[in-house]
Amino acid sequence: MRTMSAPDRLARLAAMLRARRFDETLIGHAELISGVFHVSVGLEATAAALAAVREASDLIMLNHRNHGALAAIGSDLEVCYREILGRDGGPQRGRAGSLHLADASHGVPYTSAMVAGGVALAVGMALAKQRLARDGIVFAFFGDGAMGEGAMFESLNLAALWSAPVLFVCESNAAPDPWGRRANPLQAARTLHELAEVHQILATVVDGGDARAVEQAMLASVAALRGGSGPRFIEAVSRPWPGNATFLPTLVTGELDLRDATRPHGGDEWQAVDPVLREARALLAEGESLAAMVELDSSIRAAVGDAFERAAAAPLAPGSDALAGVFSAR
Amino acid sequence: MSTVVRYREARSRALFRELDANPSLLLLGGAVTLPFNPDDGLLERYAERILWPPISEFGTAAAAIGAAIAGLRTLVPISTSSFMFYGWAPIVNEAPNVRYLSGGAVCAPVAFHVMAGSRRGGAAQHEHTPQAMLHNVPGLRVIAPATPADVDAAFHIALTGEDPTIIVDHVALAEYEGPLGSPPSDISRPTLLRDGGDVLIVSYSLMVQHALVAATLLAADGIAAAVLDVAQLAPLPVAELIAATEGHEALLFVDESRAAGSPATHMLSRVLQARPRVAARLLCTLDAPSPFAPHLVDAILPDPQRIASEVRALLDH
Repeated sequence: MRTMSAPDRLARLAAMLRARRFDETLIGHAELISGVFHVSVGLEATAAALAAVREASDLIMLNHRNHGALAAIGSDLEVCYREILGRDGGPQRGRAGSLHLADASHGVPYTSAMVAGGVALAVGMALAKQRLARDGIVFAFFGDGAMGEGAMFESLNLAALWSAPVLFVCESNAAPDPWGRRANPLQAARTLHELAEVHQILATVVDGGDARAVEQAMLASVAALRGGSGPRFIEAVSRPWPGNATFLPTLVTGELDLRDATRPHGGDEWQAVDPVLREARALLAEGESLAAMVELDSSIRAAVGDAFERAAAAPLAPGSDALAGVFSAR
Repeated sequence: MSTVVRYREARSRALFRELDANPSLLLLGGAVTLPFNPDDGLLERYAERILWPPISEFGTAAAAIGAAIAGLRTLVPISTSSFMFYGWAPIVNEAPNVRYLSGGAVCAPVAFHVMAGSRRGGAAQHEHTPQAMLHNVPGLRVIAPATPADVDAAFHIALTGEDPTIIVDHVALAEYEGPLGSPPSDISRPTLLRDGGDVLIVSYSLMVQHALVAATLLAADGIAAAVLDVAQLAPLPVAELIAATEGHEALLFVDESRAAGSPATHMLSRVLQARPRVAARLLCTLDAPSPFAPHLVDAILPDPQRIASEVRALLDH
């Protein structure tokens, strides 16, 4: 188990704040975004865990909710904003937008926005790691909805048959079945992880809003994977963030205020489960000062705000570029 | 220096050459020639280079694309082309986007091989022509060889190039003979296989061979037909195609696909835009699923006699 040294104590919170403030800023400027975008509010615990356990040689397959993970692992936020705003400056040059945001320099070479589509690609990435005897493992992030796709079952089967070094991370935040019949109203299985287990893939269920629990689960799985265990599966169960409308996310829960970590949350259901506030409360319980956290948050907010302002002021990606690079030059 | 070989021999030689040249090239399945040419030695010579997947076309196609992104080149022999429809989503909606979305920073050099068209007796679910759909997807390189030289070049391009590439092969080509040289020929531009001053027949894959037979039939009537082989369907070499038709005032485009959105329909439209006064006709498979009984499938497919009839009709105008 990794123990945190003093300068690292706030690293997890910092990763989560980068993720949250990135999306909050975007939602606040939604009128500047000329197309589809999805946010990852409420998924900061898995994003921070990824940031903590990934190594430079690893590859990561995200999905349409990719902002938080990219922000948490240290992607250049201005480049991300430029891409989402269709500006010049990043390698994707307005072709990818929010849906396909990627960052090869941080192990994210491509982002598929098709549900379960990226998971199936990730198995092949892991096959490449294995056949080429290259360092590193592959992370495949997907939501509970992916478990309804046949691609998911083919991927689990292939990964298990090939003993591919891939960690399946299911960010499971389905709205609960109002009748309480099962954990996920769209799955006949009682739990999602048992679908991995029938493919002989060792699976762990963890509280997906608890960054520390997710990190511990990921550390254990990743250690096994780096030792050659073959695929592993983590089901990180969290609550759906109420502002996650498909086409127009809204800050229905308001901007995060870290000072709420010190207050009784009373009737505010989201404050009770907010992964960032939960991490702040855990830090307070360990004796960390609220002032230090608020100071950290202020510096992150300033950096995120600056990144957005610079991106929004950047020139549009050149229209003449629309036809470039469809094929290789041969 | 070239020798005359059978199409299926050229295909095996090309695959073996690329396997020898790239020690990490992996086959996800072995049905490049199976079950039609089981004796080419692939399975014995390269047993350790073949990873046999379950019947799982989506997962296998996607894995091949993911492997390509991560640096491992694979060939996925899908066998009957309609099996590809299970893997359609990754083939048409992941592979072709990787280079474009990454601004060229990442690519997905992966190869798929399918047996398309009518094998006769395959019936409705096993005789598709997916090239008519695939050539409409920007970013996929689609090659449909007609000759031993074509298939040799197709495997070279598919297994050494940087684009996701689909070799649209045809079972009925296996025994055709033709010259094969070295290095692989350039099929990024159309190849004139037969010259003739009265009409130019433009086609690809098996219909090129039918066109060559038709040209022989027409020659007996004193009609000199030229035959142009356009092996690379996407990206279509439009300028080279138009240039190759220069000097011909009568053009027949032949395709085993149904006409709607077929490669030949596309070629016809591009040539007519550039040369609006040329006389042109289109001969495609008629709009029905492939029936099982031979006399029924004969009723919908282009063949040498129909090609010759279309040429006569074209020249009568």
